[in-house]
Amino acid sequence: MSLLSIRGLTVTYATGAGPLRAVDALDLEVPAGSITGLVGESGCGKSTLGRALMGVLPDRGRIAAGQIVFEGRDILAESERARRALRWRRMAFIPQTAMNALDPVQRLSAQMAEVLIERGGLGRAEAAAQAAALFRLVGLDPARLSAYPHQFSGGMRQRASIALALALSPSLVIADEPVTALDVIVQRQILDVLRELQARLNLAMILVTHDMAVVAYACDRVAVMYAGQVVEAGPVAEVLERPLHPYTMGLTHAFPDVHDSAMALVPIEGSPPSLLNPPAGCRFAARCPFADPRCVAEPPPVRPFGQDHLVACWHAEQAPALRVRAADPQTWAAIA
Amino acid sequence: MTARVTPLLQATGLEKTFRSRGRIVHAVADVSLSVSPGEALGIVGESGCGKTTTARMLLRLEEPSAGRIVFDGTDITHLHGSALRSTRARAQLVFQNPFDALNPRFSIRRSLTEPLRNFGVPASEHRDRIDAVLRRVRLTPPEAWLDRKPHELSGGQLQRVVLARALIPGPRLIVADEPVSMLDVSVRAGILNVLREARDSLGLAAIYISHDLALIRYVCERTMVMYLGRVVEEGPTAELIATPAHPYTRALVAAVPVARVDQDRAALPIRGNLSDTPTAGAGCPFRDRCPHAMARCATETPLLRGIAPGRRVACHLEGAL
Repeated sequence: MSLLSIRGLTVTYATGAGPLRAVDALDLEVPAGSITGLVGESGCGKSTLGRALMGVLPDRGRIAAGQIVFEGRDILAESERARRALRWRRMAFIPQTAMNALDPVQRLSAQMAEVLIERGGLGRAEAAAQAAALFRLVGLDPARLSAYPHQFSGGMRQRASIALALALSPSLVIADEPVTALDVIVQRQILDVLRELQARLNLAMILVTHDMAVVAYACDRVAVMYAGQVVEAGPVAEVLERPLHPYTMGLTHAFPDVHDSAMALVPIEGSPPSLLNPPAGCRFAARCPFADPRCVAEPPPVRPFGQDHLVACWHAEQAPALRVRAADPQTWAAIA
Repeated sequence: MTARVTPLLQATGLEKTFRSRGRIVHAVADVSLSVSPGEALGIVGESGCGKTTTARMLLRLEEPSAGRIVFDGTDITHLHGSALRSTRARAQLVFQNPFDALNPRFSIRRSLTEPLRNFGVPASEHRDRIDAVLRRVRLTPPEAWLDRKPHELSGGQLQRVVLARALIPGPRLIVADEPVSMLDVSVRAGILNVLREARDSLGLAAIYISHDLALIRYVCERTMVMYLGRVVEEGPTAELIATPAHPYTRALVAAVPVARVDQDRAALPIRGNLSDTPTAGAGCPFRDRCPHAMARCATETPLLRGIAPGRRVACHLEGAL
């Protein structure tokens, strides 16, 4: 059974031109004890989804429809207070910029103590011991608890914000682009910390990222988002090696591989549709080299396909042939 | 392969120092490089390694504290005023962030006319040059784009305009600092392909600055790796990635994520964190993080030495890792 089931979730933002459906009737299952990558480009709704789960949407945003079932509880049906308690104890958040999680004018020891004592109900001595244990867990020297965040490097700050997120032993951690702002070596070290903690503490994690390579390195499962919806989901190995959706196929040819010089990069021409007034049919149709009239007219439902693999494409049956065509730059050039 | 061509740009012993709490700090120490027409050189390293400062000195947006820069036969190291301006048309910077590189109130036409006017191109030629450059960056047909404003364009389209603006004066060298890092992955490939084509068809010399070795590999035949202000390794990009000679390059290559199922998840061959201690004094700047450090590394700064044709490394092990 899933730790988290999202059903028909719609999140809207109020704009001058009407409600923008940043996440639109989205379904997603997150199993316990594994890392699920949520991958997509800016504006696809991946960060909005993470924030909606945590109840930290900006003022203009609201959950307009849908269900979030977490640890068997329909959390949107519960009181605001119950939800808030659940969110920090059982579900925790790691933002892209660690400075957003950390208070710049407080020592880290004070920030850890605040969470552990006020939210976790620990005594002062217990909290200090636990803070030291958490620092060790994320690879920081407990002696540095007396530091202020600005005295840390970017990677150390991100470790501290992970320690803070884990303070109350959540079962689910949502990390929003946790390594995007970091240099490549630090990036890798933070991903290793996340993977190790996931395994050691048997956490479930949602890792929001725009980078398919980060998904390939760190995740067990992946959900590919496009224009507010999940277009493909499944185990990472399955989705990377046998992508079923043309958008996923395009993404796998869109950025260079450090070990391959012969590779021809293929851009996905065009831009995502407006979410104020999304197209009637498949949202990717305007950029898809394989779209036909049906794709433009009718939205494809999400359907199971093969081993534990979901896809929203009318042409999934032809995926093996489409994968061959998708590797050819000419196929995509015709769209422009 | 390029050694026999006269370099377009040659820099020797570049240094940039500043004072911090009464000490002299080297942001860049003893960097030498050259780039020839039609060649692309990559400079790769992490934040604070001095790659951006090096690029700014090469374009004389900053004046070097020491060293010499010869561009197109002229020593530009200490040029000022109109003499420096005359090199600007021939050496152009591509900005990293297309979202603030263009004046939001200017139409595309005006953003592209401005550099032509600044460099004294006769008005009668403007329209043809603008059309040609828009075709080159694949914003076609040109007349569909001329009257648009930046807010009507996507990030990828904006970056094409930024490229067009850099190309329109007819430069011989372009320097691009993280040219696609602000863009979505689906449009990055389009920008990199335009850059490659422009270099090939115009015979431009190009210098790319990035922390992303995969990107550098796609666009540069030759690469320099910088660490704390110094060049630690240089060579043909494919060789440098396949058989890194410097322990830092090796960690950098191992850290680049790849979108493949089977991959190496072994711990990186590097220790600790990037220290913020400046590179004052003797010794290898990488020694605190190096799994191979020896006593000699603390006392003697390794110099860049040739280890194979076209390959140099600044490490006492000289590539015997």
